[in-house]
Amino acid sequence: MSVVAFERKQNTGLWSETELNTIVAALNIALASGNGRGWETGMTEKGDAQWYLLGPLPDQACELCVSRIGGRYILENGSGRLLFEHHNLALVAMHARAAVRSTRWGLVARVMLLWCTARHMIHEEIEPLLIESEEMLVHLAPQLTVFA
Amino acid sequence: MKRGKDQEASAAKLQRKDVPEARQLRKQAGDWLKQRRADAGLSQVDLAERLGLKYYTFISQVENGFSRVPTETMAAWATALDLEPAAFAKHLLLYYEPELHRLLFGAKK
Repeated sequence: MSVVAFERKQNTGLWSETELNTIVAALNIALASGNGRGWETGMTEKGDAQWYLLGPLPDQACELCVSRIGGRYILENGSGRLLFEHHNLALVAMHARAAVRSTRWGLVARVMLLWCTARHMIHEEIEPLLIESEEMLVHLAPQLTVFA
Repeated sequence: MKRGKDQEASAAKLQRKDVPEARQLRKQAGDWLKQRRADAGLSQVDLAERLGLKYYTFISQVENGFSRVPTETMAAWATALDLEPAAFAKHLLLYYEPELHRLLFGAKK
């Protein structure tokens, strides 16, 4: 008995509706946040499909990129760092969602740090000045009432 | 075919006037890089190999105008394309930071 060698269908060319839906559904939170965020598709020189998650306006720089090369999905960030690769797109999309979340949490952490720094500065620098001027007012108020 | 048309329309959107200027400039930078790579006789795969990348997908990402050449790898890109790194970086600055380029080197042309 001989085994029939089935030729494996090469998965190249444009994204299918199913593939696009899988990626967009996984990243809908990032896409729904507005500010001009969106997505685009493109092709490599060899005709492999790419999907780009674009950041907010005005730059709209690529934050994440999913590429399909020979049935394998590659997840990279906007600087070309390889984040994940697998033949299962749903798994790759899940990692993409996690990557977006970590980016957003990083942003939240930076905002919180900025807020704490500002509060600390107010506490250290501005409050003594306010107290000082309040003390001056207490001293000067009786003298001012004499002139009034 | 619907999805084909959708994706073509998506690419055509780049040419539209409502595309932010930064994005249009990145696309111009990508076209310039693609031309320099062709001049050097390299494919995207060849360039990725020279840059020590596992996949060539980032080259495409940059050439399609969605990402920039990272500053830390500019010298390596220039060398891989047989270009002088300072001139390469200066030219890319024209697209990536046009105002900074104008301040440093004067008006374009």
